[in-house]
Amino acid sequence: MPIYEASTEKLTVVLDIGAAFTKFGFSGEFSPRSIFRSEVYCKKTKKTRRIIDFETPEDLYDLLVEFIHKVYFKYALLSPKDRPIIVVESLLCPTLFRETLAKVLFVHYEVSTMLVLPSHLVAASSLPAETALVVDIGYKEGVVIPICYGMPIVQAWQALPIGSEAIHNNLRSLLTSNNTNIQNVTEKVIEDIKVKCCFVTKKYRAEQLGSSKPEITACPDVKYPLGGSDTIIVPGKCRERTFEVLYEEDNDHLCLSTMILDAILKVDMDLRQQLAENMLLIGGTTMIPGFKSRLKEELAKQLELDRYKTLKIQKFKFHTLPCKENYAAWLGAAIYGATELINMNGLSRENYLKDSHLPDWIDLKDTNRSL
Amino acid sequence: MAHICGPEVVKYACHCGLLRSISQLYFCRHCSKVRCSFCVCHEVDSIFCGKCSENIPSAEARVKKNRCSNCLVCPSCQQELWPRVAATKTSANPDEPKQVVKKMHYLLCQFCRWSSRDVGIPDQSSVTGFPDRENVYANRLQEVLDAYKAVVLAQKQAKENEKKKQRKKYLSYTDITGVTAAALRKRIGLPADRTHPLLKNKPKKPDNAVAVEEVDDLPEELFTEPVNLLEVTSVDQRLLYPEAQPVKMDKLFPVHKQLSIKRSLRCRACEHNVSKPEYNPNSVKFKIPLFAYYHIPDIRIVTVEPLRAGQTSELIIKFTNPTQHQTVVSFLEIALDEPEEPEIKEVEETMDSLNIQEKQHASLPSMTSTSQPSSLLSLGSHRQPMITIKPRQIFQTLNSTVEIPTSTFILPPRDDAAEFDDSGDTHNIQDDPKLVKWRKSNKAFIRLSVTPQEGLELKTEIVCGFAMKHLYTNTIFTQQPQKYEHKVKVFLTLGNLVGSE
Repeated sequence: MPIYEASTEKLTVVLDIGAAFTKFGFSGEFSPRSIFRSEVYCKKTKKTRRIIDFETPEDLYDLLVEFIHKVYFKYALLSPKDRPIIVVESLLCPTLFRETLAKVLFVHYEVSTMLVLPSHLVAASSLPAETALVVDIGYKEGVVIPICYGMPIVQAWQALPIGSEAIHNNLRSLLTSNNTNIQNVTEKVIEDIKVKCCFVTKKYRAEQLGSSKPEITACPDVKYPLGGSDTIIVPGKCRERTFEVLYEEDNDHLCLSTMILDAILKVDMDLRQQLAENMLLIGGTTMIPGFKSRLKEELAKQLELDRYKTLKIQKFKFHTLPCKENYAAWLGAAIYGATELINMNGLSRENYLKDSHLPDWIDLKDTNRSL
Repeated sequence: MAHICGPEVVKYACHCGLLRSISQLYFCRHCSKVRCSFCVCHEVDSIFCGKCSENIPSAEARVKKNRCSNCLVCPSCQQELWPRVAATKTSANPDEPKQVVKKMHYLLCQFCRWSSRDVGIPDQSSVTGFPDRENVYANRLQEVLDAYKAVVLAQKQAKENEKKKQRKKYLSYTDITGVTAAALRKRIGLPADRTHPLLKNKPKKPDNAVAVEEVDDLPEELFTEPVNLLEVTSVDQRLLYPEAQPVKMDKLFPVHKQLSIKRSLRCRACEHNVSKPEYNPNSVKFKIPLFAYYHIPDIRIVTVEPLRAGQTSELIIKFTNPTQHQTVVSFLEIALDEPEEPEIKEVEETMDSLNIQEKQHASLPSMTSTSQPSSLLSLGSHRQPMITIKPRQIFQTLNSTVEIPTSTFILPPRDDAAEFDDSGDTHNIQDDPKLVKWRKSNKAFIRLSVTPQEGLELKTEIVCGFAMKHLYTNTIFTQQPQKYEHKVKVFLTLGNLVGSE
């Protein structure tokens, strides 16, 4: 390699736009440069608007233009023109969102190449593991997709609306009995209460606290100061029960543990034990203390039921990431981005402008190779 | 400038269809169109630190990860940290009575009183010498990264080999005789090993990741001990340091300050700069300031009679000519449905002549040095053409009509000395008294009549609009100033509808 190439080598932005937080950094680095909320300030209404709250496709385009501007000129300090970019996305990302993002990047910001990487697959690459059951719990939803020998098994996907949004709503309703006016508190405050006070408790404690006459005493109450004069009282029972929304079965008898087991049920019989022994938890919600041990308890309990008797799984094993869970997918993409992959598999601007379309696994036009 | 031009009651339509106040618009002199921040190409011009106001070259900023090496930010409240001097007396030699006073520094946040001593960072002898933390997983991740690089490189080479094989048409000598390439090389005395240097030193495969059955249990004291909220960090405090994301307050470390940039803006159609700041971070001036405020007549509302549905009210607006050339302003009916037309015919002709001039300029160097092609020209062809975005339709409903005056009026050039000249208006301008109410130097007060639509509810915000055509003198080419008419759509927010008498 000639020496001068090292200095002119283009920096590749790696971007993971989440529903709540966006992870931004450069390829080949081991931690994102910054993690910030996926929202923009609207000058007209003088309010911050989240990207996921868009109203129309045109509105989404404008929001993304503003947001990518912030990414490049506030954090990356680079001109986006004629530079490559790597975007991490969930395999279940809505077509409207990814197509609009591609349009913003190629037409408005004129990036040279764009490489889209599936978050579940790349998250396993930092371990590295070829086979893993990737459980991603973010803001809007929890998605489970098994990765087998470097291939996401998309037909086994499972998703439920159990993310931090559901947890925030649950916490808000739990707090209403002790506090008036809790409905007007912003979600940021609720999030702060969740992060500072709440944890995932043990299974027997949760069952006891859920019953009418608990035999145990809940953890101490917390007085959370609000705005200098008010206080929110966070009862101990509430602190322990906030995350129960993840583990309690809903009307369809689905919850986090059944979701994982259902995903395992859908893959080939020979791979099941291997997947169970390669569990990988990613996403910000999985960082809460006690999350893993409770999940293990729940999975063991579910296995005893008739529903999952056929699985014949003896034990579950969990991987420990060489990073924090909330940027695991970003880190995988940064590792991918340091290789030649972007030049081999990336979508160039010329190719995009030919038919204004971003290749997608769901589209027969892009996936049908034999014809 | 926002306080001069605000509140935003007068809005101009940008070429791309967005409505902005005049202070937020640019005017590209080369293609004579109004531009806004949405339809120009933004570029990073210079990088500087907002605290120490030091310019940092982009290569250096890249090495320092876009952070200032000297300035630190409070990990608790994200304000800037200030070094404080603490003198410590240490005797170098216990025998000597003379003590040496040593200057030591620690960091203090002036806002939340966080200090580097709180978290046990030892005082430093130099202000900039505060230690940084390293990623604990760096070695492991580097191994993984090298392995991935090797895999992808092998894939790429396999692909290239495939291509080479397909190209091969003739049987090689070794295929017929069965002599291997290595043996042949040995016989003719070449070094035996000929593998690709990148393939040769294959990095060792990282050990497989091991999943464990045991998981961390919750600490028992969590169920009994009360929580001290002051000891737990918030989400924003954690995310300030993505690598570690400390949960407890005593694990917070000062963070280097994120650098800021100055932007230059470039017109997408002609690739000329419309705004370029000065390099010095302390300067607020511009090298290229093609702001619309300097080129297009500024319109302000002076008075408006109370607006009543279906009744005509008098509206007085002030026009100011910001240019050094006299201009003629006329009014046209506004048409919202039609998108911004490319150019009026007159202008097209002038533009054509401009293009020719430009071409001549460009071809000059190649004519002087015919033996080799101009490097400037070849550079230009490398640049990919910008994509022009189709103008969108103006999103604004009009609920009142303006009676468009047929006559035009003249705006004299701006003259800074005239501001202090009380001798009165000496312009011998023949004005239509119905249109022009009063004038002074480069300003004119124009009377228009507005009729809000029938059947509007009370307190409805009344918006009227017209197209303004003004004579623009382009001085970019020094041979002779080009004059042509420029058209811009203007929207006035006049206030709320009041009841009938």
